[in-house]
Amino acid sequence: MPDWNQPIRQRLEGLNLDGSREAEIVEELSQHLEDRYRDMLSSGLSEDRAVTAALGELETDDLLARELRKTRQPADGRRAPLGATGPSSIFAGFRHDLKVALRIVIQKPAFAAMVAGILALGIASNAAIFSVFNGLFLRPLPFVEPSRLLDLDETAPKWDLTYVGISNFDAYHWMWGNTTFDGMAFFGHGGANLSDGSIASQRIEAPPVTYTLLDVLGLKPVFGRNILPKEDKPGGDNVILLGYDLWQRLYHGDRNILGHVLKLDGKPYTVIGILPREAALPPNADAWIPLAADPNSSGSYYLSGVGRLKHGVTIDQARADLTRVHKSFIKTQPVNEDTAPILQPLRDRYLGDFKTVTHILLGAVAVLLLIACVNIAGLMLVRGQSRARELGIRMALGASRARIVRHLFTESCVLAMAGGILGVALGEVCLRALVSLMPDDIPRWVEFGMDFRFVFFCVAVIGASAILFSLAPAVDALRVNAHGSLQETARVTFSRARRGMLGVLVVGEIALALMLLVGSGLLVQAFRKILNVDPGFRPHNVLTWSLDPPASKYKDGPSRYAFYHELIERLKSVPGVERVSAADLVPLGGHNGYFFVAEGARQLGPQEKNPVVLGITAMAGYFETMGLTFVGGRGFDERDEQPNQPHVAIVNESFVKWFWPGQNGVGKRISYAFGKPGKEDWLQVVGVVRDTAHYGLDGEHRPSVFATYPYAPQRAMTIAIRSGIDPHALVAPAREVIRQMDPDLPMFKIHTMTERLDHSLWTRRAYSWLFGAFAAVALLLAAAGIYGVISFSVSRRTREIGIRMALGARPAQVMRGVLADGMLLVGAGAALGLAAAYFAASLLRTMLFGVSPRDLFTYAAVAAMVALVGVAANYVPARRASRVDPNQALRFE
Amino acid sequence: MSEQSIQRDLKKGSAELLILSLLEARPRHGYEISKLIETRSRGAVSFRVASLYPLLYRLEDRGLLLGRWVEKTGQRRRRYYRLTPAGRKILIQRRLGWLAFVEAIRHITGNEYA
Repeated sequence: MPDWNQPIRQRLEGLNLDGSREAEIVEELSQHLEDRYRDMLSSGLSEDRAVTAALGELETDDLLARELRKTRQPADGRRAPLGATGPSSIFAGFRHDLKVALRIVIQKPAFAAMVAGILALGIASNAAIFSVFNGLFLRPLPFVEPSRLLDLDETAPKWDLTYVGISNFDAYHWMWGNTTFDGMAFFGHGGANLSDGSIASQRIEAPPVTYTLLDVLGLKPVFGRNILPKEDKPGGDNVILLGYDLWQRLYHGDRNILGHVLKLDGKPYTVIGILPREAALPPNADAWIPLAADPNSSGSYYLSGVGRLKHGVTIDQARADLTRVHKSFIKTQPVNEDTAPILQPLRDRYLGDFKTVTHILLGAVAVLLLIACVNIAGLMLVRGQSRARELGIRMALGASRARIVRHLFTESCVLAMAGGILGVALGEVCLRALVSLMPDDIPRWVEFGMDFRFVFFCVAVIGASAILFSLAPAVDALRVNAHGSLQETARVTFSRARRGMLGVLVVGEIALALMLLVGSGLLVQAFRKILNVDPGFRPHNVLTWSLDPPASKYKDGPSRYAFYHELIERLKSVPGVERVSAADLVPLGGHNGYFFVAEGARQLGPQEKNPVVLGITAMAGYFETMGLTFVGGRGFDERDEQPNQPHVAIVNESFVKWFWPGQNGVGKRISYAFGKPGKEDWLQVVGVVRDTAHYGLDGEHRPSVFATYPYAPQRAMTIAIRSGIDPHALVAPAREVIRQMDPDLPMFKIHTMTERLDHSLWTRRAYSWLFGAFAAVALLLAAAGIYGVISFSVSRRTREIGIRMALGARPAQVMRGVLADGMLLVGAGAALGLAAAYFAASLLRTMLFGVSPRDLFTYAAVAAMVALVGVAANYVPARRASRVDPNQALRFE
Repeated sequence: MSEQSIQRDLKKGSAELLILSLLEARPRHGYEISKLIETRSRGAVSFRVASLYPLLYRLEDRGLLLGRWVEKTGQRRRRYYRLTPAGRKILIQRRLGWLAFVEAIRHITGNEYA
């Protein structure tokens, strides 16, 4: 008798079966081969051929092992009885599912790309915007116990000012008199010209701070020491704490910098330490010097404050405490009647401007996420339905239900994963782009990084909707018994309920997209309206930069006037320069507020407050250089700057409107409200100019007064050049002219006026376009949704359409029918969306610059656009329906 | 669904159906099952060792069959397979499914000549 065991054993090698199991298999199989062999012999075959035939049962060398591997567990020390399943079969099943899922996903690349693309879009936009929001508003500030830190300032509603700044007197008396703070610190704002031997003179932000600032923030110097209390007193030593970035930039992180002496505005300062990166308060500070203020001087309001609350103290208690202290000095400081402390969390003060914008954008991306979910749900449902028949057949052929569920689950997981990975990558790119576009005035302690918890959340939300809706057909399959499944899948698959659900999804999607479109339409309208605002000056070809001649070198007004005057004269001879002048504040260049009295002004009403007036010091020729328009009178000329000339001023239209409504202001007299009544120092108004967009194209117009340099001398001035050539080309020659006059004087804030205007619109431009982009994506998704659902419904109705055409329906009729079905959904969605937008748009009111949130044109345009996109998305399936060949259709199925 | 996976499910599904059907009446050993398939299909369908036994083991794993060694005097012991209650239930389902499938195929193929 031949030995069957050997060839069988050979084929079991590598399966790593345990001994007893292998013995059983070998016994059973060799029995089979033996039976076969005997049958062959008895049928008259030769012995040789009988052996060959029997061995043929084993087929190829590896088939047996391959087949067995699906069932048998390798022996791993445990003895599993024949037929038991081991743990690795689950993994093997998963691997198999994964392979099949991948294959199926790859087989339908368009569908896979669509699902993954939608997922990626939803995830990327949400992750990027949320990361920005997170950085600005959620991530704790990099200070110790940041929740106890409050921003301190003074407010004066009577002066129409929210933030006045804090005077020395108030700062120190709050610090000494309060009982609710562990510590308080104050800082000014200011730049200085830094010069240090070999390093080219440059402008840095070196605000004066109280020595308490580091402690209040809970920070320590990177190395070196903090400012000492004795250095923070009038007459104290000149010391400087360098900011981390400045130290790296100028001194390349040299640790021998301690004790080094550098010059600020010509005065020597000794480096005592390096600030940690987080110590960027005020935002963008490059270095700190001691405030060394006189606690009893109360003239100017120039400080900002930060306080650390005692444990358990609320902001209201602190406010009451500081107000008590503040008002207790009304006797000696009568002005404290008008002013009051204003307290708020640190973050609100520095990032509050971005709050509305980021909230709105977050709302927009959330809607987008919702649309993506709905879209994925619809797609999965459609696809699942189209596969119901396949699943029915597979069930009939023996695939278990659990297996089918597992299979669909794996498939959606693969898609969700692909979309997730793509989305994270895309989100990272979007985030980087967004951050690079951020304005410079965001504090340095704000960090933007992808928040992976949130990314996970997005993937989970969209992935869950994909998985949930992909399982719908499997749920059906579980309900329908195997017998019925084939017939059911063939006929009733697209149940009325399921169809209704798809319809609801599409309607919802269109409504959401339309809401976003209306929002973005309104924002873009507002933006266009702002772009069309006349700035009141001619920004083209005007270059501006600031200079700050130090008091140590330019001691008084006349010496500075002489410097500026000579500089202007020299610049006039630079080729390409058409006009040159200077002002302390150019449009979009900041604010200096004063109170004014005007001769013959109208009586103020009982509720009216004397307005804060923007005061600007301008030199001869400034109005012509900046391109301001005169309504009446003239600009300053050099005669106005001569000694013993009558004092003159120029006001803007808002000023005239406020003080002398209906009159021409030229020839009237005004005065700064410094002196007591009767002791005014009158200035004669010689010109009235049109209002300029001094606070931005979308900003308010305040009454303004321009005074001559000799009358209101300023240290820092902004030089303006109007050129006949590209103004950027004038930076180098201008720098050379200045270098010849004073090599230690750096130019700073070098911008053309066009750049200043652009910059002032940055936030609005960014959010308008972002919102627009989201709305466009939403519309695209909604269009894909309509297309998918209608296409699918057409493909399900091929037979019905075929019958109708066989009965004489014309293609155009069929097309109309399908279009009508689709447009019904679009119409319902649009109606719902318009209604929702009508209410939601009022949330945007503050950003609309006078465009009505009910702007009819926008609503009509958006509705028309949605209708058009709806027709386009419906057209392709409708056309397909109209081309159905009745013969083919009836044979179909 | 891919062509391949239909083929595979078809073969697998039908093979399972065949085996379960053959065991409905009484327990049988592997060689007997393979002989019956071959003779009853008049040689059109045959299952060889390399595919039959792994399939039997799988059905056993899934609790549809139970295999047991039976010794008869004067013979080598043989492993007999019989249907479990679960196997009987699946058999009914599969049989109905198969009939429906055949019916469906007949409709489709018959349509050409209708």
